[in-house]
Amino acid sequence: MLGKDDRIEITVTVNGESQVVDVASSDLLIDVLREQLHLTGTKRSCDLQICGTCTVLVDGKAVSSCTTLAVETENREVRTVEGLADGETLHPLQQAFIDEFASQCGFCTPGFLMTAFALLDEVSRPTPEEVHRYLEGNVCRCGSYTNILNAIERAQPTTER
Amino acid sequence: MTTTGHSIGKAVPRPDAFAKVTGRAQYSSDITLPRMTHAALVRSTSSHGRITNIDTAQAEAVAGVVCVVTGRDMAELGVVDRHYGLTVLDQPILSDDLVRYSGEAVAAVVAETAQIAGEAATLVEVSVDPIEPMLTVDQALEGATLVHPERESAGSDGANIAAYYEFADGDVEAALAGAHYVHEAVFRFPMVAHYAMEPHCCIAAWNGTDLDVIAGTQQPFKVRSDLARMFGLQQNQVRVRVPYVGGGYGGKLLSKYEPLTVALAWKAKRPVKLLLSADESFRTISRHGSVVTMRTGVDADGNIVARDTRVILDTGAYADKGPGVAKKAAYRAKGPYDIPHFRSVAMAVYTNKVPAGAFRGYSTPQVVWAGESAINEIADHLGIDPLQYRRDHLLERGGDFMPSDTPMDADLVGGLQLAADGVRWAVPAPEGRGKGLATGVKDGGGGPSRAEAEVRLLADGSAEVLTGTSEIGQGAHAVYTQIVAEELRCDPARVTPRLPDTATSPFDHGTEASRSTVLVGNAVRKAAMSVADQLGEMVERLLGTRRDFVIEEHRLVFDDGSDAVLAELMARDRNLPVTHEFELGPIVSLSYHDTLVSGKAPLGTPSNFYEVGHGAAEVDVDRETGRVELIRYTSVADVGKALNPQTCAAQDEGAAIMAIGHTFFEEMVFENGELLNGNLAEYRLPLAADLPREGMGVELLENEDGPGPYGAKGAGEAGIISMAPAVAEAVYQACGVRIHDLPLNPQRVWRALNEATTQPGPD
Repeated sequence: MLGKDDRIEITVTVNGESQVVDVASSDLLIDVLREQLHLTGTKRSCDLQICGTCTVLVDGKAVSSCTTLAVETENREVRTVEGLADGETLHPLQQAFIDEFASQCGFCTPGFLMTAFALLDEVSRPTPEEVHRYLEGNVCRCGSYTNILNAIERAQPTTER
Repeated sequence: MTTTGHSIGKAVPRPDAFAKVTGRAQYSSDITLPRMTHAALVRSTSSHGRITNIDTAQAEAVAGVVCVVTGRDMAELGVVDRHYGLTVLDQPILSDDLVRYSGEAVAAVVAETAQIAGEAATLVEVSVDPIEPMLTVDQALEGATLVHPERESAGSDGANIAAYYEFADGDVEAALAGAHYVHEAVFRFPMVAHYAMEPHCCIAAWNGTDLDVIAGTQQPFKVRSDLARMFGLQQNQVRVRVPYVGGGYGGKLLSKYEPLTVALAWKAKRPVKLLLSADESFRTISRHGSVVTMRTGVDADGNIVARDTRVILDTGAYADKGPGVAKKAAYRAKGPYDIPHFRSVAMAVYTNKVPAGAFRGYSTPQVVWAGESAINEIADHLGIDPLQYRRDHLLERGGDFMPSDTPMDADLVGGLQLAADGVRWAVPAPEGRGKGLATGVKDGGGGPSRAEAEVRLLADGSAEVLTGTSEIGQGAHAVYTQIVAEELRCDPARVTPRLPDTATSPFDHGTEASRSTVLVGNAVRKAAMSVADQLGEMVERLLGTRRDFVIEEHRLVFDDGSDAVLAELMARDRNLPVTHEFELGPIVSLSYHDTLVSGKAPLGTPSNFYEVGHGAAEVDVDRETGRVELIRYTSVADVGKALNPQTCAAQDEGAAIMAIGHTFFEEMVFENGELLNGNLAEYRLPLAADLPREGMGVELLENEDGPGPYGAKGAGEAGIISMAPAVAEAVYQACGVRIHDLPLNPQRVWRALNEATTQPGPD
């Protein structure tokens, strides 16, 4: 078994690119993303898996990177907010967040985008209750919830508007 | 884009939106400098005591530790003045004698990584001789011990008073004695946390003799001034840059950790980054918990003849913005009614707890919680509908909010009616439900201040707008680009706002008091108009006649449909060959807006405008559990003119959602001075699921009657003011219990319901 300071090389796919990173067994995914890979779009806030600000996708599932060990992502696919757009072409969720004025300070935006991405991946036409339940793990202190909900609604491809 | 020349009042996307949805927006916490080190703080576990020793040896021995700093190092570090604050400079960079609250930073470790710093910080041993802590304002006023023994109490009402203010007119005691009915009650408001999603962060680097600071601050020029004073520098040796800020709400005003980070960088001789955890930000600053004792007298016709208010604000261990908060509490306590006899006293009282400072609304939510609850209860006592009572008694446009101040600039009754309509006031609530409303007013724009702005039209037809406004989420920079686009008749997407950098940005007082759109906005508009004038004059010189035009990309398009390349016109005007476009530089204007000063105004500065927030609520009360559910809520903000309506509405809605917190569940809980719930596992914030069941209604009242650009008033605080008293009235209408203490959590409501069943009903 590894001690907390033992280091190990792991291979992880981040935003479609295979990466080899040297991590301590106690390193958190958020720190590896932000400090080693310089993907600072993933934000840190509560450190307790409650505020959702650090949400990323691991094999398509939304997880809090502040409480996920980097070693757990070995040979898995991690997607961060930087991996949502296709080059300069925004993902429909990103465009919807702009069009609905869903960001104020914007610090929670990456986490909401990744949670919403996982939601729409799992349920293409979620009910309002399903959306609320999914968003229970994301805090926006600026209180942009209505606009965020509208953006998630707008981003659904089958929505008739 | 079709908004050219018509960008004001339009749904123009925010200029920061693309960066924010792609994760490319840089915040202080995202920035790394070459050779940068990381700091971690050692915090006191004692609430009050004298530091006898701080043993740093073990921490210093850890591999990767650069240095450890305590309060005793300050003199050696050349710190000229180690204290900072607003008007009471009582907060030391690091204390070397007393600790004044549990959670106060008493030492700092600088190391190669944040992890090493954090681990080494746990090895610093702090020895403290305990002193009896002052845990409540009552205890502090009695003064068994003093939080700041070197300071005299600022009021005669007791010990430990950091600041004391009184505003009065008439003879309040005589008027109350002669009143037909006097309503009297004590209202409590909890201490709550800002919880900006981005914790406090500062990076400091000494470059030769100059200082470079990157910080998530709402007040870069105040930080520059503090750092120059404290470290014996000229202001031009200090540069403060503010990237995007992950939320502020008042909690990042004044200096916070910037002086400490600068001291650490001095000692480490390398750049230092101090990034707090969220738990540490909980222990940095808060909203004042308060006790408001209020007596309101009415005559036989229901006219309010007198109001006597005493506000006690728990300012915690350091004054911070407490003096300002107390002053405005006293100023706003009378409320938006014509009351001939009033006396309003407010004091900020030191306790051995987390300091309290500015928080969205300043002290308005606290005094409006009391004042509007009292109005609701008086209307009930008189048997008058609370909407009708306010129709009869709210100030009319032009009335005195306070004697000798700016006359009321809003249609209060009209605004309140909109809120009432939002919850279908005239339709009785079904069984188990109730409706309530309230009106809150604060003087807006803050005290005396200067706001500057620079607008540059570049030779390719794009433009820049430079201000000292921190982009904390409020969208001020969106509004500035729209103002520039409106005046230059160009596409707002071609106008770029620049984030504050004291080395290059024009001066601004700070991002607070809903002042940016009005005061900085006026400066932006003046600068943009000047650039437009210079452009018009150039066209007139070249074409021999004045012409109307718009800017489309790099061309001027004239009213007859003809066009010209801007750079070619500028080259001709300056006798340069057009091949030298790069030499043209911009067409520039720097303008400013100063607040008025009047010897007659009670605050010295007449109110710039009034920030008015009406709220109406419909709630459902579960008598079994005491749970109150918000069914409908409508917030009405009187904004004069919404320059970007979506952003303006989002600000007001966000303020109302923040109010859901202190109304229903938020409260910092202390035991023996220790904050028990200073983390998100135990401190709940409003979530999407907390939105009113039928949605949050936001109405913007636009009478174009403000002093800002295009008739704008300040916005962003109104929505937080009126929810608590509106909801409390709705709870009373639903189940007959009056509650004077916030938050209205299930335990409190359930207890009140149970007590009510053993006593006679309300009527």
